[in-house]
Amino acid sequence: MPADSAAVKAASQPEVLLEVDNVSLAFGGVQAIRNVSFDIRKGEIRAIIGPNGAGKTSMLNCINGFYHPQVGTITFKGVKRADMKPHDAAAQGISRTFQNIALFAGMTTLDNIMSGRNLKMNKNFFWQLLYFGPARDEEIAHRGKVEEIIDFLEIQHIRKTPVGQLPYGLQKRVELGRALAAEPDLLLLDEPMAGMNLEEKEDMSRFVIDVNEQFGTTIALIEHDMGVVMDLSNRVVVLDHGEKIADGTPDEVKSNQDVIDAYLGVAH
Amino acid sequence: MDILYAIFVDPFVQMGANPVFFLKVMWEGLVAGMLYALIALGFVLIFKASSVFNFAQGIMVVFAALTLVGLHALGLPAYVALILTIAVMYALALGVERLVLRPLVNQPDIILFMATIGLTYFLVGFGEFVFGGDPKQMITSDLGLPHGIYRFHLMHKVLIVQKLDVVAAIIAVIMVTGLAIFFNKTRIGRALRAVADDHQAALSVGISLNQIWVIVWFAAGLVALVTGIMWSAKSDVSFALQIVALKALPVLILGGLTSIPGAIVGGLIIGVGEKLGELYWGRLLGGGIDAWLAYFIALAFLLFRPQGLFGEKIIERV
Repeated sequence: MPADSAAVKAASQPEVLLEVDNVSLAFGGVQAIRNVSFDIRKGEIRAIIGPNGAGKTSMLNCINGFYHPQVGTITFKGVKRADMKPHDAAAQGISRTFQNIALFAGMTTLDNIMSGRNLKMNKNFFWQLLYFGPARDEEIAHRGKVEEIIDFLEIQHIRKTPVGQLPYGLQKRVELGRALAAEPDLLLLDEPMAGMNLEEKEDMSRFVIDVNEQFGTTIALIEHDMGVVMDLSNRVVVLDHGEKIADGTPDEVKSNQDVIDAYLGVAH
Repeated sequence: MDILYAIFVDPFVQMGANPVFFLKVMWEGLVAGMLYALIALGFVLIFKASSVFNFAQGIMVVFAALTLVGLHALGLPAYVALILTIAVMYALALGVERLVLRPLVNQPDIILFMATIGLTYFLVGFGEFVFGGDPKQMITSDLGLPHGIYRFHLMHKVLIVQKLDVVAAIIAVIMVTGLAIFFNKTRIGRALRAVADDHQAALSVGISLNQIWVIVWFAAGLVALVTGIMWSAKSDVSFALQIVALKALPVLILGGLTSIPGAIVGGLIIGVGEKLGELYWGRLLGGGIDAWLAYFIALAFLLFRPQGLFGEKIIERV
């Protein structure tokens, strides 16, 4: 990622796609997120980092509607959302991958990615039941789009393989494909490179950058590999114990004393 | 020696000696098997989409048949009654989703299983309350189902086939083909399988669990209605029918809980196996073996192939 293009993006200040305002989330007595605010601008790659248990995945789950924060608001595309269900979030253009892969293990790669187009397909139950006429045409049209994604992710060879049988790295890629199939406005990636070897990480980084540049998809990314985070992201927000401790460009964050303390630990 | 002869030779000699009788037994077995398969199909539909073993499938068959007969008894024309019954099955699906599944979302499978047992007793009580407990006649001729027989002359003997059985077979084949295509080729079918695999992931691609559950329970309700009509056309509409639904268990074990073709093939194997076993081998054990032979076959399958003939292979990565 050329550094100057990031600078240009930051300078032109594109509109805010998603705004998290003063969000708090608790599970019983455990405060997972405490008064966190940040925004995600259109077209950027925004990293969310922090030590284990910092509340990163909880944050993602709030954005995508799995959790409902007790305090604070989330505004997406200028609309403040009430407590929404995950499938409503998906309908508004948010799709995601999971930290522990959540694929449909018994289905083939093709079917998994096709399922990502669920919301783009709308022929009703009646036609579906007959599998005739409009429903069939629709199926064929969407299949074309899915093949493009399969080409893009270079997974042609596993098109018909049940994903449960695939190695971990490829499963991660299929999961990305399923998220892309929805043509999301905001793509949430929860540790897309966890557990990968160097080569797989490089491949995945390339896909993330390509998605961002070719499709213009805004991406929010949780990742532990600092090298990857610094290379990929335009801006980074750092959480620790549920609180935001830093927010800025990778360079700013890297030199922030609180961040260094959080990662290395300090004597209290 | 005699016993070996009686087991391995004599039955086949008999089959060869009277092939028309053998064909008749086969046909009866296939018809019975098809009805088992239809019941099993209802189980498979719901299990595939929600991994809930729906204990209430048997009573849903009875309930659908009772509703149809009951509505007709009110003086409604048969086809109006049929359409209204379909509406009742849809309402049942909505009710089950709203009142049973939704409050129990994310509970362990065993809890949902227990809930379907509760549903069974509710439907028994409700059905008896509304329609009364006495057996009723299925409105076969009003629905335009044929009665009477076909005679085939084979080798100087007569093979008699009920017209109703032929129609039942045709309807079953159409329904099963339709469901198989629906499950494998369409968006909603894919969504059903997705929900079965992983709730969270299904939600994240925009599948509404509630909607899927209604669809799948409605589909199971429709299958129950067709099964109910076919079964009760051969006997009566009564609550005793739900016992027959237990025959679906060995079928499911044989065919695999998640496989539509498995339900069909399993049903046919059990149906034919029972009839052949009873008529050719039964007297070795004093007769009446069709009552338990199916369960015995199922047990053997559990030992050697627990996922069934066509069940999804259990993939576990360590």
